[in-house]
Amino acid sequence: MDDVSVRLRNLAKSYWRGSLEIPVLTGIDLEIPRGGYYALMGPSGSGKTTLLNLIAGIDRPSGGELEVCGHSLNGLNDDELAGWRSRNVGFIFQNYNLVPVLNAYENVELPLLLQDLGRAERRERVLHALSLVNLTDRMRNYPRQLSGGQEQRVAIARAIVHDPELIVADEPTGALDAKNAEEALILLEHLNQELGKTIVLVTHDPKAASHARFQIHLEKGVLDRTVEVHDRPVLPRLLT
Amino acid sequence: MIWYLFVPLAPYLLWLLWAAAFHPLPLTYNWRSIWQRWAGTLSTVGAIAIVVMVFVVVLSMAQGVSKAYVRSGRDDQVIIMRQNARVEMMSSLSLAQARLILTHPLIARDGVGPLATEDIIVSKQVALADGSGAMSVTVRGTTPAGIRMRSQVRMLQGRWFIPGLSEAVVPQKMLNRYTGVELGRSFAMAGRSWKVVGIFDGDGSVYDSEIWTEVGDLRQAFRRYGNDSSMAVRLRSAADVPSFIRDMEQDVRLKLEAKPEPAYFADLGDAGRPMQVLGQIITLILTVGAVFAAMNTMYATVAGRTPEIGTLRALGFRRREILASFQWEAILLTALGGLAGAGLSLLFNGIRTGTVNMNTWSDVSYAFSVTPDLMAQGVGFSILMGIAGGFLPAWRASRIPVTEAMRS
Repeated sequence: MDDVSVRLRNLAKSYWRGSLEIPVLTGIDLEIPRGGYYALMGPSGSGKTTLLNLIAGIDRPSGGELEVCGHSLNGLNDDELAGWRSRNVGFIFQNYNLVPVLNAYENVELPLLLQDLGRAERRERVLHALSLVNLTDRMRNYPRQLSGGQEQRVAIARAIVHDPELIVADEPTGALDAKNAEEALILLEHLNQELGKTIVLVTHDPKAASHARFQIHLEKGVLDRTVEVHDRPVLPRLLT
Repeated sequence: MIWYLFVPLAPYLLWLLWAAAFHPLPLTYNWRSIWQRWAGTLSTVGAIAIVVMVFVVVLSMAQGVSKAYVRSGRDDQVIIMRQNARVEMMSSLSLAQARLILTHPLIARDGVGPLATEDIIVSKQVALADGSGAMSVTVRGTTPAGIRMRSQVRMLQGRWFIPGLSEAVVPQKMLNRYTGVELGRSFAMAGRSWKVVGIFDGDGSVYDSEIWTEVGDLRQAFRRYGNDSSMAVRLRSAADVPSFIRDMEQDVRLKLEAKPEPAYFADLGDAGRPMQVLGQIITLILTVGAVFAAMNTMYATVAGRTPEIGTLRALGFRRREILASFQWEAILLTALGGLAGAGLSLLFNGIRTGTVNMNTWSDVSYAFSVTPDLMAQGVGFSILMGIAGGFLPAWRASRIPVTEAMRS
């Protein structure tokens, strides 16, 4: 197996407004090693979320090559892409995006419904994921009965329950207060260091970005520079 | 039959069933989502329930009418009329013909005599109990044999008429709807006064819509000497019916038309048809409205849950799984309405009313007959509405690009 998780070659993405082509990303060349922890940074409109969507396989490039978790995504059709995502990617969103009519347990179980697993095995994995985020006692609660920090922890459990190689996070601390943001970052750190997950994070928050090992700066759709983070904050031990 | 409408949809339905069986998204998800927006859900369920109720009640009406006729006939009894008369009231039969028929060897006898009756049918206006006017009611002059042959008819109160006294008996079920024919009262007909001496029950047959009197009295009152309306005979067995009918039709002295009672009454049972057609037109109009109500609710659902759909798609659920999920949600929604409507239609079950039979131009009394089969058809109908109203919104849900869904 390749130890590169994300490999982008001359990747481009543009939108069409009528006959007008609006380039969002051009000439992106990037390699993220397996187990890497990268933060995508840049001003609004620099294309960082678009880049994240391309890496996560929920958007398609206009040009260039895209290889993620050992698969070339260029030739996959919509269903194949969906299947690929269900096996390889865990998603963490700014607004948590939990399904409101499902309780914490059921939300975490969602990605497993796409795998060929029995009920008992699903249960075991869901409970394990919930215990990693320290929410086992809240698993029967619905999202509206959870605090923002708890909701994001449920979302993190959902992102890892199917053991994906890659975790993408779009402003994961954007809606959280300082304490809960800290807690979410500790969890991501744990996923990266102890479970070896590759993490790609989009953030505005310099504090969140300081946890990543590399910061990739985008400027008007092109890679501006990649900075290695040397003095990463020392985090307390995990809750578990 | 509503079930035929499912045939062209069979591949889609099979796919939906397959999707439900191996569904990654459990139906409980849809069930809870429905109740998440309970106000919209209840109004849609209500609209579907009303349509399904109308649908079932219309069918139960038609069924009630034909049931009244089906209950009236016996396999081994034959009605004999003038050729092409179609209904007893339009028929006439001479006394000579009647005598000849009575000699037929296939006619059954009981301890009293041959089971054959010469009846006269006339009609009379009777005032409706609610004061809204009068309706034409069939009056049957019959014989003691005629009473014995119609075994579903039972005397409830009073007694049978005595020949020569201008007496009449009235069905119990007529008393709910008509006035002036109660036990002990007299009514005028053909220049005579007729006294009601008995109340009978016809067990839901057409006889529940007829006033009966003695045929001889009716003959005199209407001066129909030697000219009755029709004859009914019971044969030794139902197997004798074809050869008896052949004799009636081929004997040059008779040249009459004979029909087994079930066939005769089945023809009359078409009385429910115009009502049924009218009801179906109303149902169709209501259906269009209800389908749009369901569609509107589902479009609103899809719009309100776009980020949720985006999340599911990002997690790896495929388009077809989203399509099936929302289609099932629409079906759940309308099937709830269907169950409610089928339940509401039960309120009409057994209610007795009447309609004019377009064949005899007289009133026929019937009861709404809501059967499990009709209720199942109502629920099936609601499922069709769910498929029709839910498909486009579900299709739309499945086609939203993931990135767009996430952004909204």
